[in-house]
Amino acid sequence: MSDDPGTGRRGGRVYTPDFLTELFRNPLDPGYADAAARRARTGQPARPGWSVGPASLAVVVLLGFLCVVAYRQTIAEEPGRAQARSGLVAQIKQRQGETDALSERADVLREEVNREREAALGGSQAARLRDLEASTGLGRVRGDGVVVRLADAPAGQDALSGGNVGPSRVIYSDLQGVANDLWGVGAEAIAINGQRLTATSTIRSAGQAILVDFRPVTGPYEVSAIGPGSMRKRYEGSRSALTMRKVAQDTGLSFAVRDADDLTLPAAPEPRLRYAEPAVSPSASPSGRDGSSGSGTSPSPSGGGR
Amino acid sequence: MIAVVALLAGVGLGLWLDPTVPAALQPYLPIAVVAALDAVFGGVRAKLDRIFDDKQFVVSFISNVLVAALIVYLGDQLGVGGQLSTGVVVVLGVRIFGNVAAIRRHLFRA
Repeated sequence: MSDDPGTGRRGGRVYTPDFLTELFRNPLDPGYADAAARRARTGQPARPGWSVGPASLAVVVLLGFLCVVAYRQTIAEEPGRAQARSGLVAQIKQRQGETDALSERADVLREEVNREREAALGGSQAARLRDLEASTGLGRVRGDGVVVRLADAPAGQDALSGGNVGPSRVIYSDLQGVANDLWGVGAEAIAINGQRLTATSTIRSAGQAILVDFRPVTGPYEVSAIGPGSMRKRYEGSRSALTMRKVAQDTGLSFAVRDADDLTLPAAPEPRLRYAEPAVSPSASPSGRDGSSGSGTSPSPSGGGR
Repeated sequence: MIAVVALLAGVGLGLWLDPTVPAALQPYLPIAVVAALDAVFGGVRAKLDRIFDDKQFVVSFISNVLVAALIVYLGDQLGVGGQLSTGVVVVLGVRIFGNVAAIRRHLFRA
């Protein structure tokens, strides 16, 4: 680094053909050879054995000093980085907690509003409202149904494959397919890991995470659906079930469908009413949920295509 | 032998004084250490080649450290600090490797 290789060694200015070749072939500073040649000319003897001059000793002391300082510096920086990271993690946790508390409060308040409304409305109207809320995902529902369980393949090559979402992980479109097919075979209410799906729910991916209604869900994923008794058999024949079975066989990802009694699905976190207009003719509204595989409840909502 | 004692003395000095590096110099410290290592391995090899020279050693040490720091500084000013430090580390690393290989040949005849 310090001086031009090739000058001086042969007296005149000789440019070496290729710096890198020269570097690999002869890594020693040419200055040492020059100095040795000068000494040979003047007849000075080289220092015997391992003794070195005081200046070199000072340099060696300096080297030890530098190494220690650099080492300590690096060590001292490390906790700073870790602290920043853990601080961020704590902030995220705290904000998530706040969000949870707030949405819980919103749920409580909504329930209160519902109660008040039911008290204000007559019996049949209130019942109709309840039915509508149940079918649109705004009310808590209970019933028998199926639970579809999907889980990532056990870790192994994940650490190596790193960023890309390989086939051994459950991806968002798997969940979309499962949810859509469950709607298709007559599910009346669906929740993914306790996140109720509504007509406007989205299932999408952000990096490695899967977001259901913009809330992250983590594996293993349980898609619970309430519906008619024949739902499981019909679902087993659906496209996503067949696909996922094949995928599970090939990649070690786990996929299971089971009947479940007395499922309780929570209400969707927020109505997300973006446009609300007064109905033109209230009498023309549909007649609510009437049990028959819910044509009003299956507008394939979980597409997330937008 | 005395060189090793000097090295240990430097280490002890660093531990004892425990200086804080000014924030402005922090990015240059690691690269300066690599440059210093290059000069030292060059010196050891020259010693084994029996062509060691005190002046050459001191000058190459100081200039190595300064030039390495200067290159990184320039790179930072030009917005290519990371790439330039990579270049410096590669070149110095190659030299260290070559010199250590020569030292190994001297010591073990292999």
